[in-house]
Amino acid sequence: MDAAVLAIWVLRLLFLAMLYAFLYLVVKALVRDLRAAAREPTTELGRLVVLASPGGEPAPGASFALDAITTLGRDVNNSIVIEDKFVSATHAALTYRGRAWYVEDLGSTNGTFVNGGQVDGLSPLAFGDEIQVGQVRLRLERARS
Amino acid sequence: MSALTPTPASLRAVTGVQRRFRITPRFRGRELVLLSIVGFGLWVGALSLGATRRLKDAIAEGGDVPANLFQPAMPNIILTYVAALFVVHALFVVAGRRTDQILLPAVGLLGGIGLLLMIRLPQDLAGRLGGLGLTQLVWLLIGLAIIAVLGVAVRNDVWLRRYKYTWAAAGVGLLLLVFIFGNETNGARLSLTIGPFSGQPSELLKVILVVFLAGYLSENRPLLVEESTRIGPITLPPLPYLAPMVAMWAIALGIVIVQRDLGAALLFFAVFLLLLYISTARVSFVVLGVGAFIVGASVLYFLFGHVRQRIDVWLDPFADPTGAGFQIVQALHAFARGGLLGTGLGNGLPTIGGRPPIPALHTDFPFAALGEELGLVGILAILGLYLVLLERGLRIALAAQDEFRAILAAGLSLVMGVQAFIIAGGNLKLIPLTGITLPFVSYGGSSLLANAVIVGLLIALSERTREPLPPPRRAGRLRRLFDRGAV
Repeated sequence: MDAAVLAIWVLRLLFLAMLYAFLYLVVKALVRDLRAAAREPTTELGRLVVLASPGGEPAPGASFALDAITTLGRDVNNSIVIEDKFVSATHAALTYRGRAWYVEDLGSTNGTFVNGGQVDGLSPLAFGDEIQVGQVRLRLERARS
Repeated sequence: MSALTPTPASLRAVTGVQRRFRITPRFRGRELVLLSIVGFGLWVGALSLGATRRLKDAIAEGGDVPANLFQPAMPNIILTYVAALFVVHALFVVAGRRTDQILLPAVGLLGGIGLLLMIRLPQDLAGRLGGLGLTQLVWLLIGLAIIAVLGVAVRNDVWLRRYKYTWAAAGVGLLLLVFIFGNETNGARLSLTIGPFSGQPSELLKVILVVFLAGYLSENRPLLVEESTRIGPITLPPLPYLAPMVAMWAIALGIVIVQRDLGAALLFFAVFLLLLYISTARVSFVVLGVGAFIVGASVLYFLFGHVRQRIDVWLDPFADPTGAGFQIVQALHAFARGGLLGTGLGNGLPTIGGRPPIPALHTDFPFAALGEELGLVGILAILGLYLVLLERGLRIALAAQDEFRAILAAGLSLVMGVQAFIIAGGNLKLIPLTGITLPFVSYGGSSLLANAVIVGLLIALSERTREPLPPPRRAGRLRRLFDRGAV
C-alpha cells in the first residue's frame, strides 16, 4: 500500500513538473524571439502624420514612412503630393542628415512653418514638431518599432 | 464574342489564385516539441488521476491495492484529444505558413487541463453526450477545427476591416436578441436558445467588439491622439470622438441592468479602455474611463440588489457562509486544502451527495478545483500559460503590418487575458465574483468556440511575410533636387 501511495505521489509531482517543463521551453523560445527582434534593424527613419488637410489629399490621419529625402508639394513627382491651392508645385523638403531631421523651404510662394514660425532656409526639426504647408498641417513622428 | 474573351485583368486574377494556393510544407519544430510535451504531460495527468481513483476506491472497499493501479482514467478521451492536437499541427505544417508556433501548444495544454478536470468531476454534472468529459471533448475538437480552419485559411483581413459597422450592428443585434428572448439562469439572462442549439452570445460578442474597436480606433487614432477640447484650464480628450466611449459605457451598463451579467460588462469595458490606451497612449482617456466606471458602478450598487449582493459577498463572504457566501467560502476552503503542491488530481474533497461542494464548479470555479488538486504551484503554472498567450498576442500586435492588425491582435489577446484575470480573481476573492468562464478550461461550448475563434485569428494574424521589395527609385526626383540645390 505504501509503495502505491509513494508511486502516486511521484506521478502527481511529475504532472506538475511537466507543466513547468512546458513553461520553461516556452519562455526560452519567447526570450529567443525577443532577442532576435531586438537585433532586427529598422529601415524607417521617421513618419509624417497628416493632422489637418482641408483639400482631403492627403487624407487627414494618413501617415507616411519617410526616406532620407522626402519632398512635399503639389507636383505629382513629389514623395508626398499635397492637393491644396496654397501649396507650391515644389514646396518643401524634409532631409535626414547625421542623426537629425531638417526641413527646408524650396522657394514656395506661401512659405513653410514649423510650430507656427516661418522657416528661413534650413531648419532643424524634432520629433513631435508640427509642419504647416499651405493649409495642411503635418507632424513628424518617430518610426514605429 | 468580346464578352467571352478573357481580359488581361481576369487572367492575372486566375494566375494569382493559382499562385496563392500553391502549397509548400514547412516544418514547425518548435510546435512539435511543445506538443509532444503537452501530450506526455496530459498522459501523466490521466495516469495520476486513474491511479488515485483506483486506490481510493480500493481503500473505501477495504480491499488490497488493485493490480491494474496504473491505468489512465478515460484513456480514449485523452488520446483522441492529443491526436487532434497533432492533426492540427500536421495541417499547419502542410499549409506551410510562417505563423506562430507557441499559441497552439499553450492552448492545447490549457484545454487538456480542463479536459482532465471534466473527466475527474462527476460525469452526470452536465452535458448531453453521455457525460461531462465526452461533451467537453466534442467541444474541444470543434474548437481545434475552428483554430485549424482560421489558421490555415484566413489570409486577408478585408472582410473584418471593411465591414466594421456591419459587425457592430450584428453585435448589437445579438445583444438585443438576448435582451428579448434570453433564458434566465440564476437571475442572469445569458443564454439564447435557437432550435436545438443554445449558447451564450456574449462570448461571441466579445470577439465582434474587438473587431469593431480595431476598425474604429485604427481609423480615428490620429484624431484621437491629436485633437483636444479645452474647458478653461482643463484639457480634455476631443469630445466628438468621445461619443463611442459613452456608447460603450452605456452598453456595459445595459448589460449589467438588463442581462445582469456583471462579468461580461466588466470584460467589455476593461478591454475597451485598454485598447483606447494602446492606440492613443493618452492617460486622460483611461482616467476618464475609470472615473465613469466608478460613477456607474456606485450608482448600480445603490440601485440594484444583485450588484449590491455581489459586492457585499465579496467584502465579507463569512457573514452568510451557508447562503449567499456559500460558493466563495467553499472556494476559499478548496484553495486552503490544496496548499502548495495540491492534493493530487482526483484526491480533492469527496463530493457531497454526488455533487462537488462548490456550486457551478465546472463553469465558474474550475480555478478553485485546480487550486485544490494541483496546489499553488499548479495554478501558478496555469496563470503562466495565460501570460504566455498574452505575451504572444502582444508580440504579434507589435510585429503587425498596420494599425488595424496591431489593435486587433492586441485586443484579441487582451480579451483572453482580462477574462482569465476576472474569473481567477473572482475565485480567489481578489475582486467581486462574476460568472464568466476561464478560457479553454471551463466547461461550456460557447466559451470554447469563441476563444478558439480568437486563437485562430491570432495565429492567422501572426504570419510573417517577407518584406515586399522597395519599388525602383525614380532617377528624376533626386536629379531635380540636386539641380535646385536642395541637397
